Amino acid sequence: MNMYFIHTIASISHQDSFQVPNVFEQLEKLGDDSDIVSPNYKEYVPPTALRRLGPVLRMGLTASIECRNNVDADFDAISVGTALGCLKDTEKFLVTIHTTTSDFLSPTAFIQSTHNTIGGQISLGLKNHAYNMTHTQNNLSFEVALIDAMMCVNEGKQNVLVGAADEKIDFLAQAQPDLIPDTHPLTSGASFFVISPKKGKTSIGVRDVYTNFNATNSDKDIQNFLSKNDISTDDINVILSSSEQSFSDKQETLNYLDYSGMHYSAPAFALHLAHDYLLSKDKQLALIINDMCPGRLGLTLVQKQ
Amino acid sequence: MSELKETLKAQIIEQLNLEDLTVADIADDAPLFGEGLGLDSIDALEFIVLLEQNYGIKIADPSEGKEIFQSVDSLAAYIEKNQ
Repeated sequence: MNMYFIHTIASISHQDSFQVPNVFEQLEKLGDDSDIVSPNYKEYVPPTALRRLGPVLRMGLTASIECRNNVDADFDAISVGTALGCLKDTEKFLVTIHTTTSDFLSPTAFIQSTHNTIGGQISLGLKNHAYNMTHTQNNLSFEVALIDAMMCVNEGKQNVLVGAADEKIDFLAQAQPDLIPDTHPLTSGASFFVISPKKGKTSIGVRDVYTNFNATNSDKDIQNFLSKNDISTDDINVILSSSEQSFSDKQETLNYLDYSGMHYSAPAFALHLAHDYLLSKDKQLALIINDMCPGRLGLTLVQKQ
Repeated sequence: MSELKETLKAQIIEQLNLEDLTVADIADDAPLFGEGLGLDSIDALEFIVLLEQNYGIKIADPSEGKEIFQSVDSLAAYIEKNQ
């Protein structure tokens, strides 16, 4: 059984989650009017670079730099998930195309509007020339990025940065529920982790990840996933799901979207929650169920050894 | 001319997202690139867009840019001459 130990976490979210010992200490269910709790980005990114970075880039780069500072080692690979990418810059660029009568368009919004700008800026900001990949798979973007990171570890890489980031813009509300579900208030967030085959300060890590882009029977998928890992439903101590999943009254359950709000990188925040839950309690197993979009299921098994 | 320079400074701050600067922080004769505001080649492209969108001026020869974009003084002089 391979374990992918989590050495550090940096989350920027609508919770007080950045540089806190345990995110559960001040965790609150979000209301409709919550706002992102931003660190002082100027402490991480030079002003000349910061002025060109939209919200999702600021979050992703700052969380990555914080991870780099915490592990004090260069990353051997960088794997980023983002569903909708740099929405603010994309919107600015498209609106300019639609409204301008000029022959020229502002280059900055165009340059910053592609999904892989987040990974690119992390690479530039950290002066890191290692493997760098961006995964855009809707609500499963983080799980796919995590699978990629785990394969990098399997290849022998020691410190792999993996995370996900998404941002909200006002237009998203108009695109609900077609583009993104409307079960929770729209939010933004970025959560990044360093995973390694070696134990870190804790022995908490990711044990397995599963994705199904054509899920027709989620219950069966979950049972198969647990069976593959020689685990029964009763072994699971906590279920973190994007709905109200539960197996029995033996588990604690929480809907992580109540705490992250609705964005497609919320499953990365759920991994932060799962890690800190296991950190603070005498429990061993957490299951994250990402079923925020019908037909697309993500499962992440988190274990404390 | 001085009104044009003040307008230009405000437009530069907005177009280039120089969020920490105010109009008062930019001297008329201060270099915009290099040791001045520290602008770079992407900002030069933004200047070309700014001139066309706000003043209807197209820079046909990009090699002119180095001289035109030297400072707010040189930008304002170029706009006055070509508008």
